[in-house]
Amino acid sequence: MTQLPYAIDAETPLNPAELNVLKAQYEKEGDMVGVQTKFNYAWGLVKSNVRADQHLGVMLLSEIFRTSPERRRECLYYLALGNYKLGNYGEARRYNDLLLDKEPHNLQASNLGALIDDKVAKEGLMGVAIISGVAVAAGVIGGVLLRNLGRKR
Amino acid sequence: MASDDDSLATLKVLLIGPSGAGKSALLIRYCDDEFDSESSTATIGIDFKIKKLSVRGKPYRLTLFDTAGQERFRTLSTSFYRGAHGVLLVYDISSRASFLSMEKWFEEAENNTGPDVVLYLVGTKLDKAEVVGRAVSTEEGEELARQHGALFCEVSAKTGEEVRRPFVEVVDGIIRKGLDVGSGRTGGTVKVGADEEGQGGYLSVCAC
Repeated sequence: MTQLPYAIDAETPLNPAELNVLKAQYEKEGDMVGVQTKFNYAWGLVKSNVRADQHLGVMLLSEIFRTSPERRRECLYYLALGNYKLGNYGEARRYNDLLLDKEPHNLQASNLGALIDDKVAKEGLMGVAIISGVAVAAGVIGGVLLRNLGRKR
Repeated sequence: MASDDDSLATLKVLLIGPSGAGKSALLIRYCDDEFDSESSTATIGIDFKIKKLSVRGKPYRLTLFDTAGQERFRTLSTSFYRGAHGVLLVYDISSRASFLSMEKWFEEAENNTGPDVVLYLVGTKLDKAEVVGRAVSTEEGEELARQHGALFCEVSAKTGEEVRRPFVEVVDGIIRKGLDVGSGRTGGTVKVGADEEGQGGYLSVCAC
């Protein structure tokens, strides 16, 4: 089996009504918002397919990470997941590695790590392809220019 | 290969129960035939595995959702039930507290699913029965399952004893309740699918 593992939370956005319930509770609690309410909303946001939601989710999770040490392991996981979805693979890996340092046997974190590595490898190849494409094009243009120069002489 | 997979009927089964009952261990033993007593880290939110199995000669794709037992994730749990066909309610036979909490888990499952959903009570850590002794008898488990119209068995993820049984029987139960397997061509593709039914329950958020 060469299939990639799953990070189910990355692929299952809540429906708008569900996300709204979490948002409404978060807004209702205002400045005195409880950590559970805040985490719930952040979780819903990170699961979303909307980039702005994912951004806000990551922001809220960073706050919870700072203020609530007892929530750190899940914050690390969802910070990694949120950054992975946003395409910030460096950040994603950093958070995920922090979790793996604490829990080397955590299968969810190893799976997410594999997904991050896969994306980085794919985009790396893409980068190589673009750069080599540019290099080939530059070579061709350069060659043509040189030839033209040669003719002019 | 993918196209072959896509034609399979997909059934969604959820694993719920208190933290430490051994939901992930059961799933990993069933799906990967592995057991590692060292690797017990609490599930974060939800985890997921896919397993193909045949019941009465027909192949199914089983999507298994392994939910976190920790209280802090329970307010999010209603979203996990969307589109579920079966629920395995898992407790530890060596922990009285884990068994006593099952009423609450049945309540959650019953509140979030329709009457067609198959409930299955699973007692785990059967291997401990001989080593440290049971805290819950088989009869008590059976009785609780009966009260809720659920199926029942006891398993050991450590030894592998009976681990296939709840999965096979929950699929069989789902087929009996809703799927027309016997009718061959006319029955055609079964109507249950991975597609969400849209109307999924609202998250119940308690301000605790």
